Amino acid sequence: MNPKLLISVVALFALLGCEEKAKPKIEVERPQPVYQSTYKPLPSDEFVIVNATVLDGLGEQFDGASVWVKEGKIKAVGATLEVTESVTRVDGKGKWVTPGIIDVHSHLGVYPSPSHEGNADGNEMTAPVTAQVWAEHAVWTADPGFDLARAGGVTSLQILPGSGNLIGGRGVTLKNVPSISMQGMKFPNAPHALKMACGENPKRVYGDKGQAPMTRMGNVAGYRAAWIKAKAYMEKWDDYYQAAEAGEKKDKPKRDLNLETLSEVLRGNILVHNHCYRAEEMAIMIDIAKEFNYKISTFHHAIEAYKIAPTLASNDICAAMWADWWGFKHEAFDSVRENVAIVDKAKGCAIVHSDSAIGIQHLNQESAKAMAAGNKRGLQLEPKDAIRWITSNPAKSIGIDQQTGSLTANKNADIVIWDHNPFSVYAKAEKVFIDGALVFDRLNPERNNVSDFDLGITDPAGERL
Amino acid sequence: MKQIKKIMASVAVLVAWSLATPSVQAANYLIKNATLHTATAKGTLKQADLLVENGKIIRVGQQLAAPTDVEIIDASNKHITPGLINAYTSLGLVEIGAVAATNDSATSVEGFGASFNIAPAINFRSTLIPQNRINGLTRAIVMPRVGTSLFAGEASAITLESTMGGLISGNVAQLAMYGDAGAGKAGGSRAAAFQMLDKALTESAYLKKNESRYLPGFNWNFSQSLDDLKALFKVVRGKSPLIVRANRGDDILRLIALAKKHRVKLVIAGGAEAWTVAAELAAAKIPVIIDPIMNLPQFEALSVRLDGAARLYQAGVKLLFTGGGSHNAYLLRQSAGNAVAYGLPADAAIEAMTINTAEVFSIKNYGQLKAGMDADLVIWDTDPLEISATPDQVFIRGDRQPMVSRATRLSDRYWDNNDRISAPQE
Repeated sequence: MNPKLLISVVALFALLGCEEKAKPKIEVERPQPVYQSTYKPLPSDEFVIVNATVLDGLGEQFDGASVWVKEGKIKAVGATLEVTESVTRVDGKGKWVTPGIIDVHSHLGVYPSPSHEGNADGNEMTAPVTAQVWAEHAVWTADPGFDLARAGGVTSLQILPGSGNLIGGRGVTLKNVPSISMQGMKFPNAPHALKMACGENPKRVYGDKGQAPMTRMGNVAGYRAAWIKAKAYMEKWDDYYQAAEAGEKKDKPKRDLNLETLSEVLRGNILVHNHCYRAEEMAIMIDIAKEFNYKISTFHHAIEAYKIAPTLASNDICAAMWADWWGFKHEAFDSVRENVAIVDKAKGCAIVHSDSAIGIQHLNQESAKAMAAGNKRGLQLEPKDAIRWITSNPAKSIGIDQQTGSLTANKNADIVIWDHNPFSVYAKAEKVFIDGALVFDRLNPERNNVSDFDLGITDPAGERL
Repeated sequence: MKQIKKIMASVAVLVAWSLATPSVQAANYLIKNATLHTATAKGTLKQADLLVENGKIIRVGQQLAAPTDVEIIDASNKHITPGLINAYTSLGLVEIGAVAATNDSATSVEGFGASFNIAPAINFRSTLIPQNRINGLTRAIVMPRVGTSLFAGEASAITLESTMGGLISGNVAQLAMYGDAGAGKAGGSRAAAFQMLDKALTESAYLKKNESRYLPGFNWNFSQSLDDLKALFKVVRGKSPLIVRANRGDDILRLIALAKKHRVKLVIAGGAEAWTVAAELAAAKIPVIIDPIMNLPQFEALSVRLDGAARLYQAGVKLLFTGGGSHNAYLLRQSAGNAVAYGLPADAAIEAMTINTAEVFSIKNYGQLKAGMDADLVIWDTDPLEISATPDQVFIRGDRQPMVSRATRLSDRYWDNNDRISAPQE
C-alpha cells in the first residue's frame, strides 16, 4: 500500500465524514509488497573502535576518535567518548574509519562474472519501455563480484537494469551480505529505482531494428507517451479506491505491470535514476519531469554535469559520475576530470559511481582521482569531503540516507576500517561491518565468505581472496 | 567578458609555449632536488639532480654543478619518472569507440592477417594523445585489433607528440590471438587455433628458406597468404617478438612449448593466470603484458588475482604494464599502484611502465633516468604510484609539453562560470 495514497484517502474520508453521513466503505484488495526483504542482520557484539581517524561521511573528520557500535547501530562517534569499561575495544591506531561504501550504479548479479550471454540479464531489449521488469528477479547471488566488492568496502549497492531501453525497469538496493536468495540481501524498506536512459543507447538499439526510437526526438516522444499512459492508469486506480472508500462500487481496473511501476513513480514511491550524458539532454529530462510531475533522483554518468552544475543543484538532482571515463561514445566525448569537483563546488549532490565490477572494488580510488583533479585546479578538497561522494550522497540518491551512509547516532553500523587513508592507492579495507556484524576481515581470510561459484574453482582446495 | 579574458590568457600561454619550445632544438635544464625513480639498478634516488641538454639526459646525480645557460628547475618535494609507456593500446587508431569511421584498428578483409600494418592509420592529432600526454604518458605501443585471421598484424611504437614525427617504428612486433579469442578465429576450438599458429610458423620458416621458388600471384597452397607468411619472417628468425593474447595457465604452457619449437621470442599479453605458470615463464624468459587491476574471473581466467603481478615478479618474470584502455592509457599507473599495494616492489612497478617495455620492443634510448637517454620526463607532485599524483610538467625528448588538452579547455570554460546553459524554466 502506498502511504501517500492512504493518507489522502483517509483524509478525504475524514473530511466527508464530517460533512454528511457516509455510505459504508467497500473493502477492496490493495496491492501488497512482493518479493519482500527477508534480510536479518547477522549476529553482532557491542564494540568500540578507538584512536582512529574517523570520516563521518557528512563532511567531518575526527582525529584520535572512537566509533561505538551497539546492537547493530552506531551509538556514538567522537573524539571524547566515555565508553563503558566492559565494551570490547578495537584498536584503531593508524587506521581510518568510514561509513560503508555505497555504489549507486552496479550491475553485479545481473551482469555477473564470468560474463557471457547466458548470464547477461540486465537489458530486456524487446521493447523501448519495459518498466514491468525488475532487476531483482535476475540477480545471481553467487556472482563472485559481490565478495570482491565487499573486500573493497562496499556495504550497500543499487543494482540497475541496463540502458538499452528508454525505461529499462526497476532497480533494487541490496545489502552486500552473503545470501542464497536475493530477498536475503534486499535492503529493508529501500525504495525501488526506475532506470531511464537518454541518448545513444536506446535510439541505437531500436533504430537498428527499424523501430522507434531512432532519434533523440523519438526518445523524448517515447518517454512522454509512457508518462501519459501512466498518469491515466494511476487516475483509474485512484478513482477505483476512492469510490470504494466512498461506498461506491466500480469495476476493478485491469492490472498492468508496466504502468503499475510508472504510476508508482508518479506517486513518489519509486525514485528515477536516469542514465544521461549530455547537458542539454539532462535539461530536457528535467522539463519532462516537470511536465509529468515526477522527480528525478539522479542523473547517471552525467559526463556533462559540470556544464549545468547549478541547475542540477537548484533542482535537487544528484549526479553520479565516473572520475575519468570518456570517449567510448560521442556523448561521452566532453568528459573532464574535474566533473565531480565542479558539481560539488556548486553545492550539488556529487556521487562517484562504478557501473563496473572492477570499479566497484576501488570506489575510494575513483573518488581520490576526482578529488585530486579538483585540488589541482585550486580547490581544497579533503578526505572528509570526498568520502561523501561514495557514502552519504549515494545514500540520499537511493533513498536510504535515514538508515545508512554516515557515522551518526542510530544509523546502521555499516562501517569500514581502512589500513591507510582510504584515498591512497595503498589503502585496503581491513574490516567491513554491516549492521555491526563483521562481514569481511582481511586479516582472517578463512572466515570470509566464498560464493558457491568460487568454491574450489581456482583449484580444488584454493580460495580467491 | 571574463570568459574572453580567460580564453585570451590561455591563447597567450599557448603562444608562449610554442615560442619557448621550438620543436627542433630543445632547451637545456638542470632539474634539482627531486626524488628520481630511475628505472635502473640504482632504483630511487632522493635529493638528486638531473641535467638535460639537447633533448638528452646528460647526467644524473647529487648536487650537480649548473653549466652556464641552462634553466634551473627546482623540483624539491617532487618526483621524477621517465615518461611512462603503455605496452598495449590503440592510441591514434580510435577516436570514439562507437563511431566506426574513427576506428582503424582492425580490418574485416578476408586473409589479411600478419601483414596488416596499422602504422599509416595512426592519427597523431588525435585528442587522446594530449589527454594522455598531460597525464604522464609519453610513449605507447599501438596494437592492431584482430580481424579475420588469428594474426592481428604488426604493432607500432610511438611517442605522444602531435606530429608524424611521433612514429618510432611501424613494426615492433607481431600480434596473434590464442585462448578464447584465438578459438573464436579458428572455428571455435583452441586446438584448431594451436594447429593454425603452428602451421603458419612452420610455413613461414620454410618459405624463408625457399623464398625464390615462390612467386606471388600463384596459389601455393599455404595456410596463409605469401604476404602474411613473409610478415612472419622477423618472428621466426627471432628478430621481432610475437605477442600472443592468452589468459589460461594451460594455454600459456602450450604457447611456451610452441615458442620453443619455433625459436620464437614469445611475449604473453593478457596473462590473467600467468602467475600460475610463473616458474615456466621465468625459465623460458618470456615477458608478460598485464593489466594488474583486472581481477574478474572469466572461464579462461578463473584464478586471476590482484597479486598476480607480484607473484610473477617474485618468480623472475619481466612485467610490462598496460591499463586504462586507450582513452585513459595513462591509467596504467593506477593499475601499477594497485600491484604495489598487493606486493610488487615500487621500483619494479616503475620499470614495468618504462624500461621493460622499451627493452622488449627494442625502443632505443628511452625508459630510464640515466645519461644518454632521451629526456622523456614527468615531474610529479607526489609519489608517482599514488592515485592522487598528477604531473606538474611533462617533457618529451627534452621538449617541455604544454599541459593542455581538449578536456582542460572544457574545464577552463566551465570552472568559474558553470551555468552557461540556462536553467530550465521553473
